[in-house]
Amino acid sequence: MLTEIQEGKALNPVVRHITQEKINLYAEASGDFNPIHVDESFAANTPLGGTIAHGMLNLAYVSEMMTSAFGRSWLSGGKIRAKFKEPARPGDTLTINGKIDCVEQKDDVSYANCSFECRNQKGEMIVAGEAIIKLSSDKR
Amino acid sequence: MPDKTITYEGLTPGYKFPPAVYELGASFVSKYLKAVDSVGDGFVPPLAITACAIAAMTGSIPLPPGTIAIHASQELEFFKLVPIGDTIECHIGVAQKIARGKMSMLILEIEVFDKGKEKVQSGRATIALPT
Repeated sequence: MLTEIQEGKALNPVVRHITQEKINLYAEASGDFNPIHVDESFAANTPLGGTIAHGMLNLAYVSEMMTSAFGRSWLSGGKIRAKFKEPARPGDTLTINGKIDCVEQKDDVSYANCSFECRNQKGEMIVAGEAIIKLSSDKR
Repeated sequence: MPDKTITYEGLTPGYKFPPAVYELGASFVSKYLKAVDSVGDGFVPPLAITACAIAAMTGSIPLPPGTIAIHASQELEFFKLVPIGDTIECHIGVAQKIARGKMSMLILEIEVFDKGKEKVQSGRATIALPT
């Protein structure tokens, strides 16, 4: 976890490689078997041209970065807003970066406002968004 | 959870899907953690809970034939941790339905409660349906 909550501080990045096997595992775990994720022949005949990872799989990597930085403050007091800009596909390597934009005080409670982005190996933006973390007393 | 009587046309703002109940046992959490390349800490990862809600939601949307559903955006707020083995109840409703040219958008509201009826998380998902 971060030892100091400071404006401008970068969060430790998370890097993950997407494979069809991981997408299938996610489908099995979540119960989301939408064919655009798991049926390669179906997906090939759609405008997307092939299978794509679940948006929530990509967001899970963002959540991992936030958990690593903020621990339980994130898990039970986090708020996130994410836009899925482009699909992540099998073979992609995703890098998730984030930083603390500002720390605010409201009614004696501190909040860390962060921005994040997830890009593939070509630099294309896959997910972008913001997160707010209600900090517990040990993080103030 | 799926309501077999509802059609896509019938999904209007204010419509509530029948609630979906999930037991978040150790085997589910272990599968989820393996799928997302992560390690656990004794609680159900909040996004594993959201994954259940999203799956319940996408499985319930009666799509017009030949339509694909794409998750366009997600907002979430986490209120409390859920221990492994607990049961959750997902409530999903239609907030907005937008048609723009060859694209339809469904904006859905999600609320998840634990077995004590305390809110665990809430959020809003935008699902794009290119036609």
